[in-house]
Amino acid sequence: MRHVPDGVLRRLDDEPLAVPDRVSKHLVGCARCSARRVQIARDTERAARLFSRPQLVPDTDVAWARLRNELRGSPLDSADRHRRPVSGLWRRARFPRLSLRAGLVIGAVGVAVAGTAAAATLTTIFAPTRVAPVSLTRSDVRAISALVGLGDSHVLGGFPTSSGSRAVHFGTIKWSSSGSAHPVSSLAEATAQAGFPVSLPTRLPAGVGAGRQFLVQPRVHATVKFNSTAAALRGSAVTLGAGPAVVAEYPAVSGPHLPALVVATMRRPTALSSGASMGRIEAFLLGQPGIPPQLAEEIRLLGNLRTTLPVPVPAGASVRSVRVAGWPGILLADSSHAAAGVIWEDGRGMLHVVAGLLDSQDVLNVADQLG
Amino acid sequence: MGLLARDDERAECRDGGVDLAGFEAFFRDHYMVVVRLAQSVVCDSQGAQDVAQDVFLAAYRRFGGDYEQAAGWVRVAAVHTALNVVRGERRRDRRQVSVPAVGSLPSAEDTVLERETRAELRDLLRRLPRRSAAALVMRHGGMSYGEIADALGIKVGHVGTLLRRAESALRKEMDRETRS
Repeated sequence: MRHVPDGVLRRLDDEPLAVPDRVSKHLVGCARCSARRVQIARDTERAARLFSRPQLVPDTDVAWARLRNELRGSPLDSADRHRRPVSGLWRRARFPRLSLRAGLVIGAVGVAVAGTAAAATLTTIFAPTRVAPVSLTRSDVRAISALVGLGDSHVLGGFPTSSGSRAVHFGTIKWSSSGSAHPVSSLAEATAQAGFPVSLPTRLPAGVGAGRQFLVQPRVHATVKFNSTAAALRGSAVTLGAGPAVVAEYPAVSGPHLPALVVATMRRPTALSSGASMGRIEAFLLGQPGIPPQLAEEIRLLGNLRTTLPVPVPAGASVRSVRVAGWPGILLADSSHAAAGVIWEDGRGMLHVVAGLLDSQDVLNVADQLG
Repeated sequence: MGLLARDDERAECRDGGVDLAGFEAFFRDHYMVVVRLAQSVVCDSQGAQDVAQDVFLAAYRRFGGDYEQAAGWVRVAAVHTALNVVRGERRRDRRQVSVPAVGSLPSAEDTVLERETRAELRDLLRRLPRRSAAALVMRHGGMSYGEIADALGIKVGHVGTLLRRAESALRKEMDRETRS
């Protein structure tokens, strides 16, 4: 047999079944072809390294919305072309008297749901480029729960079931997800299920153990369809998508059986409206009876809600703006400074929360490792 | 976000004969692959998503409801459109000013390395013969030899040769840059 052509040797590693057996037999006895094969494999590997890089995880929902808009002949303006239509609401990181795990896991995913809480964000169809604190008192929570027909705990934590619907006086809320938050055995499994890479700290604060556990919350969709009660919005629907989320819990080296550190990562929530403008929906929801005027005013003062992600802050917590690896974020600390949490959105459209029974500096040190 | 769009789309199907629902299913099946192929060439996420947007717009206009043949087409179109972007240097350079490259980068050191690698790959693809560059991107983007052959209009037996030449040229370019 003549020597094996380069092209066949190149294919041998990629699609060996497509190469005749006689090629392999020839290679056994031909030092020249074997040497060429090695060189070819080296070049292939070198090219593969060049092409290998962190994989982009595009948001298909957002991309479809953008394309659909163009297909309908109403192209977005140039400023919006690179903006993701997004909205949502991070639930608060709970402090010691509450469950960190429940607060972060469910909170991360319950965005859509309890999102009704911060009424205006429900209608946001644009990308939040910053996070902003909104003070939330118990009476605010009660008012919101009355508005959306959910109990207090569900407003704060998420929907009561993985799917369902509920009639409210201005329409219906339907929600669905492919399951509830569940533990997974490894980071690899968590990232595989979530579909995005997760960064974790390599240096842990004193008192935090390395034996981490992972939880994955599947994506949740919630659709609010307005009825004739909301005259200006009648027939409109707003669909929110939140998650998936990956939560890593780190135990305390000693002390109570509570996570000492929680690192949560999720895609930023998205919201699309079938027609009603954000301004109209905001005006309607904030004008509902029972919504405390102070809360409504605080939300209005946030400015452009299409680019702002409100972060509910429990009464008594201290808040300050910080930068995490260059990205703007909010640092929360409870009044005793026994617990702290930081939330920020990075330039890749991912939301991060780091919280724990730690002081603020420890939390920021962990957050900076995630970038 | 198909949930929300459905009512409107059904209305469009009735009123204008536009099968957006069918196209959405096709889009969702292939969007990820198209973006990743484009990203391997243009080397930034936003640029890749812009390429994908253009490709799917063109597919919608071209295939008009019959998307069976469109799956291969969008992948090939993604590669060619992305190569057009990196080869249109002036236009591309302007985009680079306004669109920062992003990715999932674990550290500052890796960020520097990643940026260098991106720039290097982009330059190399620009210098290679177009067909070689396209074959490289397609193969390293996961396309089979048969698919590449169909895409480039060559015999499947020639794909290996084309890839070999391309990777050899790539190595020589990289070595030359290292020496200089």
